[in-house]
Amino acid sequence: MSNKKVSRRQFLNYTLTGVGGFMAASILMPMIRFAIDPALQAKAEGDFILTSQKIDELTDVPVRVDFSYEQVDAWYKSEVSEMAWVYKEGDKIIALSPVCKHLGCTVNWEGGEHKNEYFCACHAGRYEKNGKNIAGTPPTGPLDQYEVSEKDGYLMLGKKIPNTLA
Amino acid sequence: MYFQTKDVQQYQQNKEFIDTAIVPLLSLDFSEDNIVKSSSEAEFLMALTAFVEQQFRGRLMLLPPYSYTEQTKREELVLALKQNIQEGGFKHVVFITCDHYWTKLQDELDVIWLPAIPIESMDKDVKKRILEEQLKQLIPILSSKWYQR
Repeated sequence: MSNKKVSRRQFLNYTLTGVGGFMAASILMPMIRFAIDPALQAKAEGDFILTSQKIDELTDVPVRVDFSYEQVDAWYKSEVSEMAWVYKEGDKIIALSPVCKHLGCTVNWEGGEHKNEYFCACHAGRYEKNGKNIAGTPPTGPLDQYEVSEKDGYLMLGKKIPNTLA
Repeated sequence: MYFQTKDVQQYQQNKEFIDTAIVPLLSLDFSEDNIVKSSSEAEFLMALTAFVEQQFRGRLMLLPPYSYTEQTKREELVLALKQNIQEGGFKHVVFITCDHYWTKLQDELDVIWLPAIPIESMDKDVKKRILEEQLKQLIPILSSKWYQR
């Protein structure tokens, strides 16, 4: 420790700078946080939803997998149920959205006695197993796909993405 | 489709495909003894019609329920409603209800009557299965309308 005396002027300078710095920081911090907020959001499991479908029970025949999640719409919370048609192709798991690309009905695997196809009962739209729309029927594009993942042997479904197979 | 701006706009562009209107006929009873039962019926009817909408949204429009009490139940109003909907361009107008009363109008109206199932106490998987069972009964009725020309 030096024995130099700190003058009154210096003391006031130091304390004011210190206190001023704190005040500036407390104003700026929330502003900065606010600006970079999206980067701070924690990504919960990459938004994947766990289903009750065991991975090793999947075959090359599409099965229906139901799943649900909570959706908050302003003040209204609701439970949204969705489903997917899931099958295995080799080791790859394919999950297709059942929402018809025509006007949004739900399509069924081998519905209306159309073997090895998805069928939409509304306007007789048809899709191949990989979701490709069959020409000459109303749908204008292939069925969407879900991102898939796995947790403890169970299937997880993620975001809807455009079909990558058809 | 629901009777909502976004869906209605889509409907206007696809009128030739969406040819069916679904109207839930909902009986309201506010008496001490029946209000709970009445709300349970409403819950079932709304859940079921929403499920039908989800399955067939490209073919039908689910309208807001036509609600009435014992005193405001008027056949002629429902018949007029049906006519107005048809004038608006819907080929089929299907009424779904838990109130047995309307089945006597079978000749003038397409009425589907279903006994109400108290779904409020069920857990979500059972509820879903029940609604699916009910839907299975509706599908042949709807498709018979759609495929008769």
